[in-house]
Amino acid sequence: MGIKGLKQVIADRAPAALRTVEMQHLVGRKVAVDASTSLYQFLIAVRSEGQNLTTSDGSTTSHLVGLLYRTSNMIESGLKPVYVFDGKPPVMKGYELNKRREKREKAEESLKNAQEEGDDEEMLKQMKRLTKVTPEINEQAKRLLKLMGIPYVTAPCEAEAECAALARAGKVWAAASQDMDTLLFGAPILLRNLTVPAARKLPIEEIHLDEVLKGLEFTQDQLIDMGIILGCDYCDSIRGVGPKSGYELIREHKGIDGAVKVEKVAKGVPENWPFDQVRELFRNADVSDCSEDFAWEKPDTEGLVQFLVNEMEFSEQRVRSVAAKLEKAAGKGQQVRIDSFFKVTAKRAPAKGASKGGAAGNKRKGAAAAGGAKRPKK
Amino acid sequence: MIEAKLPQASLLKKIIEAIKELVDEANFDFTESGIRLQAMDKSHVALSFLHLRDDGFREYRCDRSQTLGINLNSFSKILKCAANDDQVHIKATTDNAETLMVSFESSGKDRISEFNLKLMDIDIDSVDVPDMDYQATVTMSSQEFARIVRDLSSIGDAVTIDATKQGVKFSASGDDGNGSILLKHQKMIDDEGTSSTSVEITEPVSHSLALKYLANFAKAAPLADSVTINLIEEAPVMFEFKISDIGHIRFYLAPQIEEDNE
Repeated sequence: MGIKGLKQVIADRAPAALRTVEMQHLVGRKVAVDASTSLYQFLIAVRSEGQNLTTSDGSTTSHLVGLLYRTSNMIESGLKPVYVFDGKPPVMKGYELNKRREKREKAEESLKNAQEEGDDEEMLKQMKRLTKVTPEINEQAKRLLKLMGIPYVTAPCEAEAECAALARAGKVWAAASQDMDTLLFGAPILLRNLTVPAARKLPIEEIHLDEVLKGLEFTQDQLIDMGIILGCDYCDSIRGVGPKSGYELIREHKGIDGAVKVEKVAKGVPENWPFDQVRELFRNADVSDCSEDFAWEKPDTEGLVQFLVNEMEFSEQRVRSVAAKLEKAAGKGQQVRIDSFFKVTAKRAPAKGASKGGAAGNKRKGAAAAGGAKRPKK
Repeated sequence: MIEAKLPQASLLKKIIEAIKELVDEANFDFTESGIRLQAMDKSHVALSFLHLRDDGFREYRCDRSQTLGINLNSFSKILKCAANDDQVHIKATTDNAETLMVSFESSGKDRISEFNLKLMDIDIDSVDVPDMDYQATVTMSSQEFARIVRDLSSIGDAVTIDATKQGVKFSASGDDGNGSILLKHQKMIDDEGTSSTSVEITEPVSHSLALKYLANFAKAAPLADSVTINLIEEAPVMFEFKISDIGHIRFYLAPQIEEDNE
């Protein structure tokens, strides 16, 4: 999933593009959230003793728990999420889907072995690999969102491409997805870790596309080409090319066409490599015309109780308390941001000794020499 | 070389207390004509501006304009080491200085303490605030403002400020009820000029504002006898505290609006 090593290239070459933010700092922001990566995150992370949470007859509820709490946190912080679900998979994705199927088969086998050997850790690892967002899970998620008063749409094709399109069209401020390829689809701002459960304490990352391109000195097309070389969901990567050499290849040859003429690279190019089709898929993704307006409404408390308590065996007290929070937030005036009145320009301190792999933060002067003196955090 | 002397540490203490609630770190721009600071909170909801004119200092020198990034909590801790009537002396000796020297001299001139504060490179978002013709300008006692903010915070999260010809009304509502305080427009400013309220108005304006930010702004009340609240539709509300003989501190707060999608 996503682009191998792209995050690292950005952290190394364009540290100014990366920031970490706290959820409450996103007050008043509309965000298009990639539902498929979010639900996947919840299924992976919301577990008790390694097992997904379930009802007494074994239906999984981890995704609903994650979605309910994380989304209500967003609403309480003044964020306005609109969830975007996957539509039909693109033809090209057959490649990735096949690979995933192979992986699943392998994981199933390993799981069986681990079970026989009683290796709990290995079992958990393989079970996570087997995690899949099924149509039923998607339908339940949509039902929950509707009851919570949160808007959602189904993308014509890939959810992250639609999220990027909504952000480009100005319908939302940012796209939220774990997939770095959202940047290849042209999302001006990408938020990562917005929908990982709060318990994992991962900071939310804000990645600015303009700063990425500036830092890498790339055009959008070159970024797409680098993504394809590094390895995306739609075709094989070139053997023997990693993040560092991939970046340098595009820097030097300005695109895949030039890069694959290099003898050493040509050897690693897979057979039947449809890079031009994949490129087209990123450049002209199958997305909606983004004309829909979104509305955030009051929750349907009794509907939530019926679904989550009566059908999914949630604690009634908890569901009612979340519903009350949503209700309160819906009744409150929406906080407007200064930037909606005044022009805000980001001024960056010169990246002295920019930290490797980390988001740009404010540095104590002279800290680089002392080594590892970090910006104090609250 | 930058050098500035203030006769009373208490002034600087109060200034830093008033802005450190909003931001942890800030860039101080030192120029020939004085010190300016612009700081926006991380949520981009509130903005503060500080201007201290060169002629308000006992001594002021700035050979070349320079921006000093300062961690306000650290600065505040150092300032706590000063007695209120100590003279403060701040100094950055080189261009692109790595530390700011802060020293305090007791009023009896018999005790001198000296601190060095590490400076920082700070990424900030800067904001262009256009000049605006405000529709309503309310001038009232800063102590009264602080009290109203405190009182209404116990009722709700937000206050609605209604400015009309008759006066200014602050109201809040919450789960347990609601409350309001009306200050009537006084034609004559009394001799002290502090206790009365005046409202200059071209059109009635109303805005709803988050009280937690106003509570931060109210920290500036000890700096000035009065506060001016400037309101206009469709723009943030501006609160100005004039600091006598040296400059001002201004806060802008983006309002809360009612949802229009029903």
